[in-house]
Amino acid sequence: MRLLRYIAGRLVVYLLVIVFGLTILFFVPRLGPTDPVEAMLAKVAAQGAYMDASQVDRLRESLADTFGLNGTLLEQYWAFIKRILLTGDFGPSLSMYPTPVMELILNALPWTFGLLLTSTLIAWVLGNFVGLLAGWRPESNAAKAMEGVAIFLYPIPYYILALVLSILFSYVWQIFPLTTTIRGAPWSWDLISSIVWNSILPAASIVIVVFGWWVISVKAQTSQLKDEEFIRYARLKGLSQTRILTRYVLPNAILPQITFLALQIGLMFNGSLITEILFDYPGLGLLIYTAVLQGDFNLLMGTISLSVIAVATATMVIDLIYPLIDPRIRHR
Amino acid sequence: MTRFLKPRRLGPAFAAGLTLAMGTTMLSGVALTPALAQEMTDVGTPRAETLIVDMLNARVGNPTNMNMYQQGVTTNHGLHQLATSQLYDIDTAAGEQIPGLAAEMPEALNDDYTQFRVPLREGLTWSDGEPFTADDVIYTDQMLRDTPELAYSAAYTDQIASIRKVDDYTVEIETTRPTPRLSIVLGSVIYGNAFIVVPEHIWSEEDPATFTNFPPVTISAYKFAENDPNGTWFLWEKREDWENTDVGQLIGEPDPQYVLFRSYGTEERRVLAMAADDIDILTDISPESLDILRRQNENVRGWFTDFPFANLDDPCERGMHFNTSVAPYDDAKTRWALALAMDIERASIATYSGMMRASPLAIPPTSVLMDTYHQPMAEWLAAFELEDGYQPFNPDYAVDLAERLRSEGIENIPEDAEEARELFGVGWWKHDPEQATKLLEEAGFTQDGGQWVKPDGEPWTITILAPADFEVQSQRLAFAVANEWSQFGVPTNVQQMQAGAFFTAENTGDYEVGSYWGSSCAITPDLFVDMEGWHQDYVRDNGTPASSNQARYVNEDLSALIDELRAIPADDEEIVPIGTEILKEMVEGLPAIEMFGTSKFVPVNETYWTNYPSADNYYEGPWWWWSNFKFIVAQIEPAASE
Repeated sequence: MRLLRYIAGRLVVYLLVIVFGLTILFFVPRLGPTDPVEAMLAKVAAQGAYMDASQVDRLRESLADTFGLNGTLLEQYWAFIKRILLTGDFGPSLSMYPTPVMELILNALPWTFGLLLTSTLIAWVLGNFVGLLAGWRPESNAAKAMEGVAIFLYPIPYYILALVLSILFSYVWQIFPLTTTIRGAPWSWDLISSIVWNSILPAASIVIVVFGWWVISVKAQTSQLKDEEFIRYARLKGLSQTRILTRYVLPNAILPQITFLALQIGLMFNGSLITEILFDYPGLGLLIYTAVLQGDFNLLMGTISLSVIAVATATMVIDLIYPLIDPRIRHR
Repeated sequence: MTRFLKPRRLGPAFAAGLTLAMGTTMLSGVALTPALAQEMTDVGTPRAETLIVDMLNARVGNPTNMNMYQQGVTTNHGLHQLATSQLYDIDTAAGEQIPGLAAEMPEALNDDYTQFRVPLREGLTWSDGEPFTADDVIYTDQMLRDTPELAYSAAYTDQIASIRKVDDYTVEIETTRPTPRLSIVLGSVIYGNAFIVVPEHIWSEEDPATFTNFPPVTISAYKFAENDPNGTWFLWEKREDWENTDVGQLIGEPDPQYVLFRSYGTEERRVLAMAADDIDILTDISPESLDILRRQNENVRGWFTDFPFANLDDPCERGMHFNTSVAPYDDAKTRWALALAMDIERASIATYSGMMRASPLAIPPTSVLMDTYHQPMAEWLAAFELEDGYQPFNPDYAVDLAERLRSEGIENIPEDAEEARELFGVGWWKHDPEQATKLLEEAGFTQDGGQWVKPDGEPWTITILAPADFEVQSQRLAFAVANEWSQFGVPTNVQQMQAGAFFTAENTGDYEVGSYWGSSCAITPDLFVDMEGWHQDYVRDNGTPASSNQARYVNEDLSALIDELRAIPADDEEIVPIGTEILKEMVEGLPAIEMFGTSKFVPVNETYWTNYPSADNYYEGPWWWWSNFKFIVAQIEPAASE
């Protein structure tokens, strides 16, 4: 009964967070200074194509109608909430009209997921492994060296690091492509290898930067745990170092790391903005960037709504599985 | 060169990234030598047969939709520049329209300019072999009329009443109102035109509102070959029957077998790509990037081989635009005072290290317009007086700037005064803080403890709206002008905005001063396209979007002159005299402080291809993203043949 109450409570909070997030998402862009119709007209005008003023007036009316921006704010809000919660439809992209927002998101999602999931997991496993060893045996030369590398790489601004990687590996040595160039028939080996090949450099840039953070955070945890009484007790019991590390230190040090990992995975729906812009990688980050630049309300709401839902879901899942991992919470 | 390229002017990301990375590598003695040129491109075409062009708007989000009539569909991945054709295109070197799909310029059939005969070019075929005839034009007209879902439909039917077939190669067009310039309404002047003739035999089988036109059947010399599903590249291949196209008839066979439009993303990567010979033609980059490129790859060149490197013939000029319906900018004396408060020489150096041509007139100082208006009006400008008899024009601006640049060690600056004026402009307004102060005091401004106070008693500060991360020249110019006005004593700051917000503010009048350019574009001696936008008919209340005259400038004399211009065709002998009178009116009222033509740094790489247009080979302007690019491609030659 207590467990059911716990789950129900978490579910209510989950739904409230989503509705609240979607409401904010609806109103904030509309409070901003960008009118998507004017932005679209400017796109036409900036390219210089001539239309006289009365033609532009007609185009303006036509675009407002097409984009569904003619009703009151409240009418637009109800339509938005109903559409999203009942059908998951974010409408057409305003800057790439009439392509549906969902189609754009579904095209971009596998790229972002593939890139970020792989690089985040590699960085997480590597970082935690190195950090655990560095915290457990701070005097070891190997641990010192690996920690040194992590501490050296961690503070480098990501932008600079990615650019230097590009210059070295795509220009000076020309190993990896300068920009994402995917070729090959659907589901063919050529396509898969082309995707992997084009993703190595962006993935490496993420791993290098994120790795340092995992090392530093798990090392701090491990150093603290080392002096805890239950660890001292384990030593006095005569348990092996490996057993103490894997059965006593690791399960305790890894708990906060799992929480952060789950949140990181939730945040993947934001894409990795700078990576995708820098490497011209066709993921969600690039899509959000386009939406902001073009005042594309629907695309912006589509991508960020998904992110809100993903983070809320990840948090709820963690809340639900935490009792399974941590007996202290189960006990409470 | 390096002396006047001040590192502090580099964008932070650029300075921190490219310069640091490339700079350190060079300093450490490791030459950034690219590996030997690949024989094949990474999309599988022979490199020596492939012209690679930078895509203007980077990656395309919906690459398999090429229905150019759906708003939001991007076409400048080659479809616009290479594969479609306009009824009338533009010869940017001569500054005049030319027939494209039409065989001749339109012939007016009545004195009201509401009926026209348009002969079509014969012998053209679509890329699937079907002949191009009047039926395609008739179908396109009817399709636009019958498909209100297409946003352009309303704009089109607002002006074109009907198109009637006379025979297979002649149509008659009726307009809803007098239209002396039909070729502007249905053809390209700058960039292109929304009216694109579509193949009847393809489109009539589809619903034009939802048809994706992919892969497209094309009318010009290139056909669609392949694209990246993620929209980073688009490959076009020369048609076997290229002689059945407008390009084939007007120019001849293009040499490039393939034209690859592709996106490399950020400026840093685009620069690296050209340095590595992976791209032949770049759209806009900054002067600092061009400097790096030229040092990295000896085959890269700008429009000029020496200073100022940039093309100065862009059809839009840059300056400070006012919302003239808002006090204190509703008073011409305020606007004139702000013009005289600026040291234009300093602003030029601060913006683009002096690599710009100044313009005191409301039209850009392109070669054609300099010959037609700027030079002939120089005498009038020198004699022009403000109300109090003060003569604001400084004809020696170019000579002084040339002297200054020479003294800073810049090479190849003309010594001759006339040559200097040709390069840097006929002159600009004097830097005269005393006269600016006098004008402000006459306009009711006062000074209180060194702070200017507006006529309404409020302290005077200025916020200039400027583009953020696009249109770099306008962005930098805003900061240069803010510095000038602040030095004069009016605290001025710059508010940078993304494109959507920036243009929303302009259209709705939600600004006082902005670093805009939209109403200062012209390319032909007929100034109609530019000046029509200043007519008071288009003034709207602030808050209501304006489709023209975003400055909300009301001037009856000016509007009367524009009415005269409206009534005559582009080849009328009164075009230039009326244009001159309009420009004089614009100088007197000064609704915008026009400052410089736009300097476009649009480098080309001559490793694989040559005979690009350039200052010393001026057969076209370097407008790779315009509809007339197809005529440039047909004149580019393989470097190997040299």
